[in-house]
Amino acid sequence: MPPRSPLAPLTHTDPERLGEHRLLARLGSGGMGTVYLARSAAGRVVALKTVHARIAADASFRSRFRLEADAARVIGDRYGARVFGADPLAGTPWLATEYVIGPQLDEAVRLGGPLPEPAVRELGADLARALGQLHRSEVVHRDLKPSNILITATGPKVIDFGIARALGDERLTRVGSAAGTPAFMSPEQAGGLEHTPAGDVFALAGVLVFAASGHAPFGGGQAADLLYRVRYAEPDLTGVPEGLAPLLARCLDKDPARRPPTAELARWLAPSGDGAFADGLPGPVLADIARRAAAVWEQPPPRLPAPAADPAGPASAEPRPGISRRRLLTLTAAGFTATAAAAGGAVWAWPDGKRSAAAAPQDPPAPLWIFGGRNPGRAGSPVRVGPHLVAAAGVGTSVIDPATGRSLADPHIASSGRLTTDGKVLYGLRTWTTGVKDLAVLAFPQEYDGDRPPVVTLAGFDAAEDLNDLLCAAGGTAVLYAKSASDGRWFLVAASLASGRELWRRPAPAPTGLDSAAVCVKPVKGGLLSCLRTGPSDTLALSLHDPVSGAERWQRSLPVPGAVPYQLATDENHVYLGADTLQALRLSDGAPAWSFGQGRDMGPKPYGQRRYGVPAVRDGVVYANEGARGLVAVDALTGAERWSEIPLKDFRAAPDTTPAVGARYVYAMDMTGLRAVDLRTHRPAWRYPTPATTLTPDPDNTRLYAREESRMLAFPME
Amino acid sequence: MERLRHDDPPRLGPYLTLARLDADSTDGGALPERRYLARTADGERTVLLCAPLPDAAAPAAWAMEAELASRLSVPRFLRPASQGSEAGLPWYAVPYTPVLPLPAALAAHGGPLPEDLVRRLGAALAAGLAAAHARGQAHAGVSPAAVLLGAAGPLLGCFGAVRSAAPGGRPGLDPGCLAPELRSVGRPEPLGDVFALGAVLAYAASGHTVPEQSELPPGLRRLLASCLARDPADRPSAPQVLHALSTTGPARTPAPAPAPAPAPAATPAATVLDEQAPPPLPGRVVAALAAQSAELLASELPAAPPARPAPQKVH
Repeated sequence: MPPRSPLAPLTHTDPERLGEHRLLARLGSGGMGTVYLARSAAGRVVALKTVHARIAADASFRSRFRLEADAARVIGDRYGARVFGADPLAGTPWLATEYVIGPQLDEAVRLGGPLPEPAVRELGADLARALGQLHRSEVVHRDLKPSNILITATGPKVIDFGIARALGDERLTRVGSAAGTPAFMSPEQAGGLEHTPAGDVFALAGVLVFAASGHAPFGGGQAADLLYRVRYAEPDLTGVPEGLAPLLARCLDKDPARRPPTAELARWLAPSGDGAFADGLPGPVLADIARRAAAVWEQPPPRLPAPAADPAGPASAEPRPGISRRRLLTLTAAGFTATAAAAGGAVWAWPDGKRSAAAAPQDPPAPLWIFGGRNPGRAGSPVRVGPHLVAAAGVGTSVIDPATGRSLADPHIASSGRLTTDGKVLYGLRTWTTGVKDLAVLAFPQEYDGDRPPVVTLAGFDAAEDLNDLLCAAGGTAVLYAKSASDGRWFLVAASLASGRELWRRPAPAPTGLDSAAVCVKPVKGGLLSCLRTGPSDTLALSLHDPVSGAERWQRSLPVPGAVPYQLATDENHVYLGADTLQALRLSDGAPAWSFGQGRDMGPKPYGQRRYGVPAVRDGVVYANEGARGLVAVDALTGAERWSEIPLKDFRAAPDTTPAVGARYVYAMDMTGLRAVDLRTHRPAWRYPTPATTLTPDPDNTRLYAREESRMLAFPME
Repeated sequence: MERLRHDDPPRLGPYLTLARLDADSTDGGALPERRYLARTADGERTVLLCAPLPDAAAPAAWAMEAELASRLSVPRFLRPASQGSEAGLPWYAVPYTPVLPLPAALAAHGGPLPEDLVRRLGAALAAGLAAAHARGQAHAGVSPAAVLLGAAGPLLGCFGAVRSAAPGGRPGLDPGCLAPELRSVGRPEPLGDVFALGAVLAYAASGHTVPEQSELPPGLRRLLASCLARDPADRPSAPQVLHALSTTGPARTPAPAPAPAPAPAATPAATVLDEQAPPPLPGRVVAALAAQSAELLASELPAAPPARPAPQKVH
């Protein structure tokens, strides 16, 4: 049975060309973007990785994308795909690499069974050298696994450093995908701690166990069970050749310090003979490589026509899946991240990493502390629970002392929902395990150890559904986004935190693919304000619910492209949204109160998408990033302009991070870093280079938490 | 895939030449034509481009054979997709797929090919020749270099090389592939193809078109000896070769092969080869195919398509 061609047809929404490349076929696609087979003007055929323009509007993705290109260059042609070019700043950023001829390692094992020992040795020696090359450049891979490794006739090539995996992996399934496949994670990574070069060695050994035996060293299954085994169980080396098992067992030591370094590993693994790598590959894998070498030259399948119902012609706007927390989580967990600072070097901590606050008058303050732990996503902003700061870290959760940044506890809280608190108690969904039927909310009143009985138990919902979410727990009511077990429909469900019973439910849009429709629910004056995404478009539906009956007092839908407002800006009069204009809706009836920015010249639209970023409101003033220009401050009551930022010369906008407002400064992100804009002079006072993706003011307004992908920084907030 | 030389045309018809397909002729590699990897100036189409040797006595006869080949529809025969001529030099083009001339496949593998693969190649080629012979058409160009090995099995190029050579001229084939009767009379007949096929399989199995018996795998000795019989009447027909190759497995012990006459019935242990199925290729041959494909994918057109032959570096 011949496997299908790797070339899939272009769809009617794919552009004819990108940059100087003409698109020929799709090689793979996912929520983040698409990988194309494309041809340059000079006739070179490449694999062209792209990110959806909408996702590319997020500064952190652009930086990741740049990192991806840099990582591919660091790893080089021998152990990676040759890089021909990249434009991370294009409307649709792209990365052109060699089209690598060969299956992914997991596919190779599926086709031809476990690899014979000489092939495993050569695979391991090559991968150890590849990692060594990365590590010497202060780069840690963090996501080595079979699907990131292509088996070519001359040896393995490491192709994915984060973005690309989410891009190309069609097999990404919802079950267990919240943190990517953790089967090859290191124990320290599974614990949310820093993953060092020794963590890559652990992952490498796991990959080799898989290649030699066909199974991962800690098995598969539910992420939570798997993570437990990664951290505490002995690896299963059944089927691994005797000559390899002791060495791999050393690499799989729970203590990173006891694992061998990559150079030693490469020496030990290097096969004694001088056979070619291809000689050791099973026949079906060789046949697959030969087939791929030819298939890429076949006439690509014709472009798919637009469906009759869709009037959009070719090259219309791309579909715009929103960025759900889970998708971000997937991406981040898969991520090759900007951890160089933690790893000790700055070569690529951040593209503009030279302290480029040059144009700002003051030096930025030193961070109060830095907490090392991966940020699983945007909605994972830290929350204050009593005296503690609680933050998602990796696939777990950490309780942090907000004064020192020290981790106090590492509670077993479901990582499957967002962190929800009323300020005193932390709430979370119970992790689903086999056999559990009911959806349950757990409460942690500032103590995080031991098993807790649920405070809310809801029957009739699909407890195994990954996108169930606890949106809000306040005023004695918990609001969930959950899927009915009987008919698969989705609801907003409210339950009493006192009685544990369901109060009401209202129909809600179903998720679009991996994207939850739930944006947020927030208690406001007059009820509970819900914000849901409807359909695959950029439409947000806002509703004000009666907290007792759930009945909608009003409803309003409006187009809001770009990042969704996980933290809705509200005050006692209005809810504020940034889109083509900055607008205020009355909380009393949902009617527009004012709209700001129509016809204003704000420079080139950033990334052709949105004009106004997600706003923040404080003390009667709304602050938002405006076009390519910087911050604008608008009177919350009237919508009249208060002031506009006088930006730095080298300012490049990043509209999707919500600003944080202090008494003296308003803090905002741009492509270079965090800047503090003086409320009196309207000029940036300082800038700190960081690729942070969320800014969270502490409720007492003395500290500002900036979350990067692999760490969180605390700054004094003025 | 080899670098272009100074005497290679930079352009033929709509195609800019990128590289040579063949290395310098070695044992078994003698070639009656030049073969290039080439691409249209807009970068859209990449082809295998063939042209007669620069000193060909009768380029027009070469072009006629190409024309005939383009009209034949015979499995395994390379079929020209477009033809033309540039400054008196005819050419034809075939959409590119990665292929290694048989001598390059042996070079990549590091020696003679495994017997099982030789049998599969032989069966596929014999099936193609049998189809042509059934229409009364001899290939008349079978040689090791004419066999192009790809992922889908062998293709046979150089159609009509013996016919297009001027009377008395040398066809440019490896001499070991030329049946004795062709040296005297000239008019190629189907059984001349069988002789050449025997030489090709001998080459694949030993590295020489005229090997010692001891160099051949025992299981192929009698079949190949019969193909290479001096008297055409002693040779099996192409269908008989196909039958012999596809109904016996590689013999581990010297077993009598049912040649020249076909075996009356398959022995119980016999395996039936499917000559349509892609043969399993050795690792280094696959590596060479993938390398050629990758190199050509990554290659760019020459910066400015030269209107006249530009000086180019030798090596």
